[in-house]
Amino acid sequence: MTTRKKQPPVSKGGRPVKRRSAARKRTRDDGSLILACDCTVAEAATLKTQLARRLGESDAVTVDVSALQRIDTAGLQLLAAFVRDRRTAGRAITWRGRAAALEAAAGLLGLHDMLELPREAGR
Amino acid sequence: MTVDLTQFHAAFFEESFEALDAMEAALLKLDVGSPEPELINTIFRVAHSIKGGSATFGFSDIASFTHSLETLLDELRGGRMAVTVAVSDLLLKSVDVLRAMLRAVQAKQPIDAQRVSDLQFDLEVAIARKDEPPAAAGPAVAAAGALSQPGVGGEAAAPKPPRWRVRFHPYRELLARGNDPLRMLRELAALGELEVRVDAQMLPPLADINPQDCYLAWSLELPGEVSEEAIRQVFEWAEGDCDLTIERPACAPEGLREAGLPPQTPAATPAQPTHQAAAAQSPPPPRPEAPAKQEASVSALGDSGSIRVSVEKIDELMNTVGELVITQAMLSQLGSHFDGADAEKLRGGLAQLERNMRELQESVMRVRMLPISFVFSRFPRMVRDLAQRLGKQIELKLTGEQTELDKTVLEKIGDPLVHLVRNCIDHGIESPEARIAAGKSGEGTVHLDAYHRGGNIAVEVSDDGGGLDGERILAKARDRGLVGAGDTLTDAEVNELIFLPGFSTAEKTTDVSGRGVGMDVVRRNVKQLGGKVEVRSERGRGSRFTITLPLTLAIVDGQSVAVGTETYIVPLISIVESMQLKSTGVTRLSGHSEVLSFRGDYLPIIRLHELFGVEPRSRALHEGLVVVAEGDGRRVGLFVDDLLGQQQVVIKSLEANYGHIEGVSGATILGDGSVALILDVPGLIRAASTRAAA
Repeated sequence: MTTRKKQPPVSKGGRPVKRRSAARKRTRDDGSLILACDCTVAEAATLKTQLARRLGESDAVTVDVSALQRIDTAGLQLLAAFVRDRRTAGRAITWRGRAAALEAAAGLLGLHDMLELPREAGR
Repeated sequence: MTVDLTQFHAAFFEESFEALDAMEAALLKLDVGSPEPELINTIFRVAHSIKGGSATFGFSDIASFTHSLETLLDELRGGRMAVTVAVSDLLLKSVDVLRAMLRAVQAKQPIDAQRVSDLQFDLEVAIARKDEPPAAAGPAVAAAGALSQPGVGGEAAAPKPPRWRVRFHPYRELLARGNDPLRMLRELAALGELEVRVDAQMLPPLADINPQDCYLAWSLELPGEVSEEAIRQVFEWAEGDCDLTIERPACAPEGLREAGLPPQTPAATPAQPTHQAAAAQSPPPPRPEAPAKQEASVSALGDSGSIRVSVEKIDELMNTVGELVITQAMLSQLGSHFDGADAEKLRGGLAQLERNMRELQESVMRVRMLPISFVFSRFPRMVRDLAQRLGKQIELKLTGEQTELDKTVLEKIGDPLVHLVRNCIDHGIESPEARIAAGKSGEGTVHLDAYHRGGNIAVEVSDDGGGLDGERILAKARDRGLVGAGDTLTDAEVNELIFLPGFSTAEKTTDVSGRGVGMDVVRRNVKQLGGKVEVRSERGRGSRFTITLPLTLAIVDGQSVAVGTETYIVPLISIVESMQLKSTGVTRLSGHSEVLSFRGDYLPIIRLHELFGVEPRSRALHEGLVVVAEGDGRRVGLFVDDLLGQQQVVIKSLEANYGHIEGVSGATILGDGSVALILDVPGLIRAASTRAAA
């Protein structure tokens, strides 16, 4: 059982913290925007700063959601504004990784399309 | 955070064990293949609350495990995953593991990490494989496509009522107050197939967003089978922080749903309306459960002991009863003048009619009455959350929860109460250190109480905190120019200042209170219900806010009294007794006032004819009658010409048809078609004392 656990089929739910920070380190270099584990109202200010910093970037921004575990309306709202603002300015974003929390939340709030989340990921 | 959470541990464990028992019971009732949504909800709620609690208390292993469990349950709840024997086993195992974890934590012993992580892994595998037939699960498996929620899917269901349309427009501060639309929508999705359309028009450019504010609004649709109550409950916490309309078209054609816009939220739409649709969507849909599904639909529709009736219908009924009361009063009056052989029989019949009328009216009124616990029930959690956020220790006491209130009143009282409780916690109760320094126990108490008082319901919110700080209030009021620098105010007047718009003395604005909406809103809301808010406070000892509300807004038992040619109604509930005065029982005081000696007490006499400017039959006190009435704990003698009779009267609002008059709570139409004013005794006392003072 424990050996299986090293490659869990899903990227969420109770993965040890250590592993998340390792993932962060690995992907930091390629310039992708890595969302933290918690993107809730308590962290919304940080998230906003993080997103705002990348808003004007002319290259496509890759948003890595694989570490994301919790997101609420405040977080989604910021993401939605980010995606929308980038789109209006003709700048692309791509999503990397999957986060069930994000997909479920976006679906529930009706923000799935606005966030341009990948279709098949949206179930 | 300086709060010592360990004191809550015992309660958390106790609740969690109970909840797990409930979850287990629900799991055991869960039918494989056609689960009842309510059961899944129950199970989900258990997982959710354990997750929340354990996260709060820092039991991260439990929180992490319940998170996975909750994710799985969410899939089940949304109908995206079938309840199979394997899943049900998995869930039962989770109950066992959770119990073991809780016991271990409780006993401060290490958790069996291996067992936990194995099961957690299995849960995640199950979630990930939800779209394929789970190989490990064996044969007794239904594919996801075949599953639909009973009562929502199945063709066997009776014609569906039109769908609910919910417009949910949060105010900006909703998020900062700890409410999350996501949570509400998730709960709504659990009630039935939810369609969501977001309105992001108000969402400003990223740079202009205040991350704590909510800029989104939603239009939602839910199946008509869902009760309005259930929908409202979801938004209960946000009441006052959002605009909410819940409506459904009176009679929408059945085709509407299919013809309607495709849902934007595939994630939240578990069931397709027809089998064809289901078949078209999921490739291999083995459909073993058609009869079971039918059964489930039937039982979901059939076993309820209540029917849902729209409030308008009840209001209509109430109105008709009101008119009937008037007609009956008219008949009684006519009957009393009858003479002749059959007069006795007629009067007998009229008496019978009156009794029946009263019963009818009481029954109709009871339909509208709900215990105030509907409102109180939201407070324990709110108080706990707020206390935690503010680093205070607070015990919430609830009493009188069974006191019943008219539904309309009940719905509107929640908001003011939330404000009051928030205020008590934020401004009233001091920090544990300050409390101990002041010689009190570190734990503050907030007490919510409801009881009948006279013809009213009183709801009290009291705390044993620092009380209102008169000096600070006054200083603030002077600061804002609300009170002149030289004015001196009584304590009561100072306390009244907090009801002025925009008044807040919180030293710093917290997200709990002190946003400038507060006591003035409370007072306005309560006034709209025909009630009032009063505050009493003692420095260092605490404060007590009392909301007094009318029991019902429709009918009152009254004593009609004559003053000159006019008839007035004194609510029976305010009357202590009526008597004829001897001139010796009255003492004239300096100036204009008279007092009457009543059982060792001196009561001021209010001459109604003077107050209302009516020409009386007689001005001599011994020629008329005095009605001793009580209001707000004070007694007065109302001087009238005569007592006419007791009857029920239907209250017609004076405010709505004319305007407010101090001392008059409304008007009514008498049996002979004339209009009589209904007296408001506390108001009368106030009006008379201001006259006396003037």
